[in-house]
Amino acid sequence: MRTLAMILAGGAGTRLTVLSEHRAKPAVPFAGRYRIIDFTLSNCVNSGIYDVGVLTQYLPRSLIEHIGIGRPWDLDRTRGGVHILQPYQGRGGQFWYRGTADAILQNLDFIRDRRADAVLILSGDHIYKMDYRPLLQIHRDKGADLTVAVMNVPLEETHRFGILTTNKQGRVLEFHEKPKTKDKGTLANMGIYVFRTAVLEERLIELSQQHEDLDFGKHVIPAMVERGDKVYTYQFDGYWVDVGTIEAYWRTSMELLSPDAPLRLYDRDWVIHTRSYERPAAKFGPQAQVHQSMICNGSMIRGEVIRSVLSPGVYVSPGAVVRESVVMNDTWIGPGAVLDRVIVDKHVVIGAGAHVGWGEDMKENALLPDKLYAGITVVGKGAHIPAHIRIGRNVLIRPNVDEDAFAPFGEMVPSGETVGGERHES
Amino acid sequence: MNPNDAVALILAGGASPALSVLTAVRTEAAIPFGGKYRIIDFPLSNCVNSEIYNVAVLTQYRPRSLNEHIGTGRPWDLDRTTGGVHLLQPYLKEPGESVRWQEGTADAVRFHIDFLEEQREDVVLILAGDHVYKMDYRPLIAYHVEKNADVTIAVRSVPRYEAHRYGILVIDAEGHVVQHVEKPKRPPSTLASMGIYVFNRRFLIDWLTGPGKRQKDFGREVLPSMVEAGKRMYAYPFFGYWTDIGTVQAYWEANMALLAETPALDLDDPEWVIHTRSEERPPILLGDDAVMEGSLASDGAIIEGKVVRSVISPGVRIEPGAEVRDSILLTDVYVKSGAVLDKVIVDKNVVIGENARIGVDDEFNAANRDLPDVLNTGLTLIGKGAEVPANAVIGRNCVVRPYTPPKRFPKEAIPSGTTIPIAR
Repeated sequence: MRTLAMILAGGAGTRLTVLSEHRAKPAVPFAGRYRIIDFTLSNCVNSGIYDVGVLTQYLPRSLIEHIGIGRPWDLDRTRGGVHILQPYQGRGGQFWYRGTADAILQNLDFIRDRRADAVLILSGDHIYKMDYRPLLQIHRDKGADLTVAVMNVPLEETHRFGILTTNKQGRVLEFHEKPKTKDKGTLANMGIYVFRTAVLEERLIELSQQHEDLDFGKHVIPAMVERGDKVYTYQFDGYWVDVGTIEAYWRTSMELLSPDAPLRLYDRDWVIHTRSYERPAAKFGPQAQVHQSMICNGSMIRGEVIRSVLSPGVYVSPGAVVRESVVMNDTWIGPGAVLDRVIVDKHVVIGAGAHVGWGEDMKENALLPDKLYAGITVVGKGAHIPAHIRIGRNVLIRPNVDEDAFAPFGEMVPSGETVGGERHES
Repeated sequence: MNPNDAVALILAGGASPALSVLTAVRTEAAIPFGGKYRIIDFPLSNCVNSEIYNVAVLTQYRPRSLNEHIGTGRPWDLDRTTGGVHLLQPYLKEPGESVRWQEGTADAVRFHIDFLEEQREDVVLILAGDHVYKMDYRPLIAYHVEKNADVTIAVRSVPRYEAHRYGILVIDAEGHVVQHVEKPKRPPSTLASMGIYVFNRRFLIDWLTGPGKRQKDFGREVLPSMVEAGKRMYAYPFFGYWTDIGTVQAYWEANMALLAETPALDLDDPEWVIHTRSEERPPILLGDDAVMEGSLASDGAIIEGKVVRSVISPGVRIEPGAEVRDSILLTDVYVKSGAVLDKVIVDKNVVIGENARIGVDDEFNAANRDLPDVLNTGLTLIGKGAEVPANAVIGRNCVVRPYTPPKRFPKEAIPSGTTIPIAR
C-alpha cells in the first residue's frame, strides 16, 4: 500500500499571540532547537513515509525556509520527498484555503499524481511521537474508508474536541464536534486521519457543493459516519499535546525538564530531526549555575538558569537569573537581569538589571484577557527591553519595540499591560 | 588569480602513535575535538570559507571514521558536481602488484600524481589534516602569485625552545627562503613551517616525478633540496591561533584552551564557521543537582552530576553524584553515579562504573611504563568502548586499551603508569 502524508500547516495560531505573529504555528520554536512541525515530519519519515505534502497559507516564509528541500528529514528525494503546497491561482478561480478539507480539496490534482492508495492527513501543530504504521495497518485490516486516530481525554475537556462513539470493533457510530453535553464518552479526535484515496476524492467533491469552508471535523467526518461509510478508530496512548495557548506552550516546555520526560526526546530510536545552523558547543562560565534546564549548542551561560528552556545562541550574562522561562535563539540577557515565567522570542535584548515577570500582581492582559492570564509575560521577536525596568505579569511586549516604547511607563510596566503598537488580534 | 584556481590536498593518512589509544581506532585527522568537531573540520572548513571547493583528502591509516565523517562532503557544501571533496585512498596500480604503502607526505602526493595531472587549477595547496586553526588561504595564495613563487610556505614564529620540533626557515628581507632545515638541533631562526604549502601545480608534478622522484617527505627532503636547487621559495607569515595536535598533552591543552573566557580560538564566529557532520541530538539537559562550571557541553548530553573545567561531547551522560574535572569526554560516554574523573581523556562509548576513581591520586611523575615518552604529564586515557568496572581505582598516566571489558581490569587499585589490560 502506498501512503501519502498531507500535513496541514496553514494555521495562524492566534492564541499564541506574538509567537505566531511572524510565523505560522507549525514554525514556532519548541524544546530549544526544534520547530513544532519537526515532530510530525519526523514521525512521517520514522514511520517509513517519504512522500509528504505540506500545506501552507499563513506567513509561510519561516516554515518554507525551515523545510527547504527536506534534507534534515532525508526528504530530498528523487521519488516522493517533501512538497510545499501553497494556495495558487488557476483559471477556474482558485481561493485561499477556507477549511482543513478545502485545503486538501484544492490539492486533489497533487494527490492523484502521487498514485497513493491511502492519504494520511496530519496537523503540523501537535507535539507527539507516533508510529503511523500500526494506524495504517488497522486501516488496511478493516478495509476502512476512513480511520481516525483517537485518544482518551478527561471528561471535562471533551467540549474542546471532536468526540467519537464506537462499537466493539472500533467502527464509529456517532461523531460529535465539540459536544456541549458530557454523555458522549471521552474518545477524542486527534486530527489524524487515514483515507482511502478514492473515497476522499469523492466525498470532498460531493461535500464541497454544500460547504465552502469544508472542514474535516465539522463536515466530512459527520457526513461519512451518517451515510454509512466504513469509518474506524485507532486508539493512541502516548504523549500528545496541542500547544495552542501560551499557557499550554509554557507548561509543555516545563514538562521537558527531566531525563524521563514523557516526550522522550533522548530516545535514539525515534529521533526528531530539525534543520539547525552549525554552532559550537554550549559554554558554561566559571560562575554559571544551571539546574533542571535545557541548553542548546551555541549558548553562553555565565549567570543562573533554573527550570528553563534556552534555544541556540542565548547569552546569559553574569549575575542574570532566568527562572521558569523559555528563551529563543540569540537572545541576549544583560548582567543582573531577571526573567521569571517569561517566554522570550528570538533576537531579544534584555537590558542590564531589567526584571521581567515582576511582582505578585497576576492581573490578566487588558487587551487579550483570554490569551494572557496565567502569569506568563511574553516578549516578541527582536524587542529591546530597557535596562533596570520592571515589567509585571501577563504583559505583552510587541515584536521589535525599542526602548522608547517603554517611556510612557517610566520605571515600571504594570501587570496586564501591552507595550508597543496598536495592532492586536481579535 | 581567483581562489577557485587552487586545488587543496589534505594529508590525513598518518598513524600518529604519539596519540596512544586515541589513534588506535582512527587516523589523527578524525580525532574528536572541542566537543562536536573532528580535527579535519578545521582545514576542510578553512578551504570552503576561503572559496576553495576542489579538495582531495589523502588517507591511508585507519580511514573508516574519517571516510564516514566526510561522506559526500555535505556539511561543507562540498557535495558538488564540479570539484567537491575527493577521498584518495591507496590502491594497487597494476594487477599482481605487491602492496606498497605511502611512506611520507611527498610520497603520498606522488602516489596520487595522476589526480593532480587531471586537475585544471594552476596551484596546489597542501594542508595537514591534524592542525587546529582558522586561516583564510586567499591572502596566502595571492602572495604566492604576487611573488611569482614556485612554492610558498606558511610560517609562524615559535618559542626558541620548541624550534627543534619544526621545519625552520631563514628568509631574506623580501621573504625569499634562503635556508630550510627540518627539526634542527641548533635552530638558525625561530620561523617555523606550518606544514601548509602552495605549489605551482606543474612545478610540483615535474619535481616529484623528476629531480625529487625518490624524495618521501616535504619537510625533510623536498623543500631543503628545492632551496638548494635555487627554486623560488617564499615564506608567508601567519599570526593567528594554530596548533598541531601531535601529542596527548597538546590535545588536552588545546581543548582546555577553549574554556578560557575569551579563547584564542573563537569557535563562535559567524564570519568563519567551522562546519562538521553532526548527528541529530536533543538539547543539553541539566538535572536538579547539576553543577556545570567553566566547561563546554554539546547537544544530547545529560548532566546530573558535577562538571568542572571539562569538555563534554554529544550524548555524554553524567549521573548524579559523579564528578568530572579537567577532563575531555567524547561522544556517548556514560559516567555512573559516584565516579570521579580528574584529568582523564575518555574516548567514545566508554562506560565508567559506579564509584570508580580515575586519576584522583597525586602521582603525576610515574610515567606510563609502556609509553614513557607519550604519557608522562599526569593524563590518563580510556580507549574507545572500554568498560571500567564499578569501584575501580586507576592512577595517572594510565592507558585503558579500546574495548577492554570489565573482567580484564585487576581487582586491586591500579597504580599510575599502568596499561590495562596488563600484558601477560
